[in-house]
Amino acid sequence: MKVALAQISPSLGDLENNVDRHIYFIRKAKKNKADLLVFPELSLTGYTLQDLVEETALNPHQSSLFDRLKTESQGLSLVFGFVEEKEKGIFYNSAAFLENGKILHIHRKVFPPTFGMFEEKKFFGEGKNFHSFPTPLGKAGMMICRDFLHYGASYLLFAGGAEIIIVLSAAPGRGFDSREGFASSEMWELMGQTISRFSTSFLFYCNRVGFEDGKSFAGGSFIYNPGGELLVKAPYAQENFLLREVNLQEIRRYRKKNPFKREDKPSLILQQLQRITNAKEV
Amino acid sequence: MPKKFNPSFVEKVLTSFIKEELSKFHFRKGILGLSGGLDSSVCAFLAAKALKPENVWGLIMPYGQLFKKDVKDAQTVGHHLGIQLKVIDISPMVDAYFSQHPTQDKLLKGNKMARERMSILYDFSARENALVLGTSNKSELLVGYGTLYGDMACSINPLGDLYKSQIRELASHLGVPEKIRKKNPTAGLWSGQTDEKELGLSYDEMDEILFHLVDKRRPAKDVVWMGFNKDHVEKIIRMIKKSEFKRKLPPIPKLSNRTVGHDFLYPYDWDK
Repeated sequence: MKVALAQISPSLGDLENNVDRHIYFIRKAKKNKADLLVFPELSLTGYTLQDLVEETALNPHQSSLFDRLKTESQGLSLVFGFVEEKEKGIFYNSAAFLENGKILHIHRKVFPPTFGMFEEKKFFGEGKNFHSFPTPLGKAGMMICRDFLHYGASYLLFAGGAEIIIVLSAAPGRGFDSREGFASSEMWELMGQTISRFSTSFLFYCNRVGFEDGKSFAGGSFIYNPGGELLVKAPYAQENFLLREVNLQEIRRYRKKNPFKREDKPSLILQQLQRITNAKEV
Repeated sequence: MPKKFNPSFVEKVLTSFIKEELSKFHFRKGILGLSGGLDSSVCAFLAAKALKPENVWGLIMPYGQLFKKDVKDAQTVGHHLGIQLKVIDISPMVDAYFSQHPTQDKLLKGNKMARERMSILYDFSARENALVLGTSNKSELLVGYGTLYGDMACSINPLGDLYKSQIRELASHLGVPEKIRKKNPTAGLWSGQTDEKELGLSYDEMDEILFHLVDKRRPAKDVVWMGFNKDHVEKIIRMIKKSEFKRKLPPIPKLSNRTVGHDFLYPYDWDK
């Protein structure tokens, strides 16, 4: 299977322009025979939306822009980020998985960060689910940016049977030291390596680049194989279109070698979580 | 101690920032005040790389004959980079004002000069269709060592997250002449002034203390425990607190349901 990660810099608040750019990359991906194309978090709108959230929100079932993307996605699996107006006046930071012109799944960000430089919960509702869903490429699961840093989220996708984990990100770079790139990129790479290895799944992480109000999105999108090996990494802080052939047989190979999935105990973990969450003590 | 950093990466981020912000705001050119000191020289180097030298305007704005050597240094930087240069003497405007409202207060005079320079920069920004690039560093911004609506005024500020000592390091990577890198920093408010004399401590010490207080979020007592001078730590904290107003837009008393600065929330890069 061939995977494409579009490490782009969306225009802030300019839906039409962003849809055009998505279409440009969809066509490019198809020309390169990609089976899956992933865009970053909020790729249709940009990230620092604040009060623009309501102006850029879409209902996937009643949106001509969505219809354009559905039409264009014929022939490949397409993942992108957008502001979803699920019910009137309730907005989510969401990601769509389109397959052959149909919406296969929508993930709503469960952990919108609200601390320090982040203020997502002021503007967005919180999703409630981590679903692993069947796709022609295998069972997949999606997370949006900070979701991925809560390792319980990855576990839920793993327990749900995901073999392909897709992370859409708009992670601002922070911290600079002697390495190339922002210090914060290491956090994502560490998680990518760990989760891919211990969930024996492919890990596709697509982060955006560009500046919004001085925040520099760090780029450095990557792919890890189910053995926790880095297959490819995009450059930091500059646009990139990453293409990579991956061998889905590796899932079987690594799950045989490292039987974390076979020996997993989701019911025991559930019981223990129930005990912990029911506990009266602080 | 602020850690060693990768200057090529910082250069890449800052030049892309300048390039991207200008293009978002539909500007091709950038303009900045060149003092012959470290910060404005570094900013000019970055701007010349980001925008090409012919798209960068450097205004040199001395007060009469007061800072002759600095004018020469600024010219050296400008010629070296091949940017557009213009020298404008601000003494006629400043003197005209003080002849009406005389004062012996050096700070009043210095602030007036800083604001005169700002006024000229913005005038040329409009004449030349060039965006004003700021040159305030993180050390100055945090302790409020700058003139509000004077040298602090700008449209974008590429240097605002680098301490003075980090700018010095970046300068050497960029090839800023040693003479400028080794200069004793001065706000140029009056002749013979140096920042460190006026602040009462060296940038190196101040930057280290700021780094622990701000970046590492260490409480004052921990920073003192680490071996830093207690009076200096306390003085820096006082300066930070006293100058918060310089880092914020002025508060507006809320009356309506939706108010600028309260809940009218849009990004700076709105529709860009």
